[in-house]
Amino acid sequence: MSEARRVLRQALVIGALGLIAAAAVHSPLIKRFVRGEFRESFFQPAEYPGVRMITLAEAEDLWAAGEALVLDARARSFFAQGHVPGARNVPADGSGSAIPREILDSPGDMTIVVYCEGGTCQSSLALAKRLHDEGFKDIRVFSGGWEEWTKAGLPEEKGDGQE
Amino acid sequence: MVRSKAVLLVFRLVLGGLFMYAGVIKALDPLDFAQNIRNYELVGQSLSFIAAIVLPWLEILSGLFLIAGLWKRGAALVISGLLVFFIVLTVVTMIRGLDVDCGCFGALSRKAGWSVILEDLAMLAMGLVLLLKERTGTRIKGT
Repeated sequence: MSEARRVLRQALVIGALGLIAAAAVHSPLIKRFVRGEFRESFFQPAEYPGVRMITLAEAEDLWAAGEALVLDARARSFFAQGHVPGARNVPADGSGSAIPREILDSPGDMTIVVYCEGGTCQSSLALAKRLHDEGFKDIRVFSGGWEEWTKAGLPEEKGDGQE
Repeated sequence: MVRSKAVLLVFRLVLGGLFMYAGVIKALDPLDFAQNIRNYELVGQSLSFIAAIVLPWLEILSGLFLIAGLWKRGAALVISGLLVFFIVLTVVTMIRGLDVDCGCFGALSRKAGWSVILEDLAMLAMGLVLLLKERTGTRIKGT
């Protein structure tokens, strides 16, 4: 057998062993997947008590009541182009930015609404998980996000909000 | 030219170690890694799940083989292939202007960008050296 074919065969066997190991170790997870879990989201609410999804109507009510802290998890540039009035920008994805001190110092039972672009965006959920890990107990993820908010014609605010 | 056996050994241990570490971290929390893959917005929910289940084990096993000194070139081929894929993926992600966590080293991950590409290129260089210079060991010596 030529050297190249030998190396290729080794690589393929390693790949096959990887598949077997993955199937063996993660069989409980794979069974849950086959049963239909994780098709919508990889988020497991049981692991994050206090985090729940809300609709546009709930988000609007909470915002209008003015008692919830609204956090926008999108990148700064998107936030500057328009956001929910009064929202704070906490970019959650990748940029590694910390959650500002004054937010962390807020009471743990404060209601926090987080949102991102909408559709399949995940940064609001990522931020919600981080807030949960920081000890916050009432975190609402407005999954419709900015897209739904603007489509509904609700008020907007522009600028980077970093006054 | 990399001739020294010591250099090859160091490359094997470093590269194998990094891959095993990266793989173990992801295998410990497959759903979190699945979400990372999903965030790249290239594949759907099901493929993200499957990739998140399989990819860490490819990393762990290829790293393990490399460190153990067994099928070194085959393992180096798997690792180099994965790195080429990661580099292309990161470049595409940057071009698309997506702001995503690279998902490479668990909590040590950062935004998919230049530093990730440079790191992957350094690892790819080691992988290619191993792929080209290591001996399979079972061949009759001579030439």
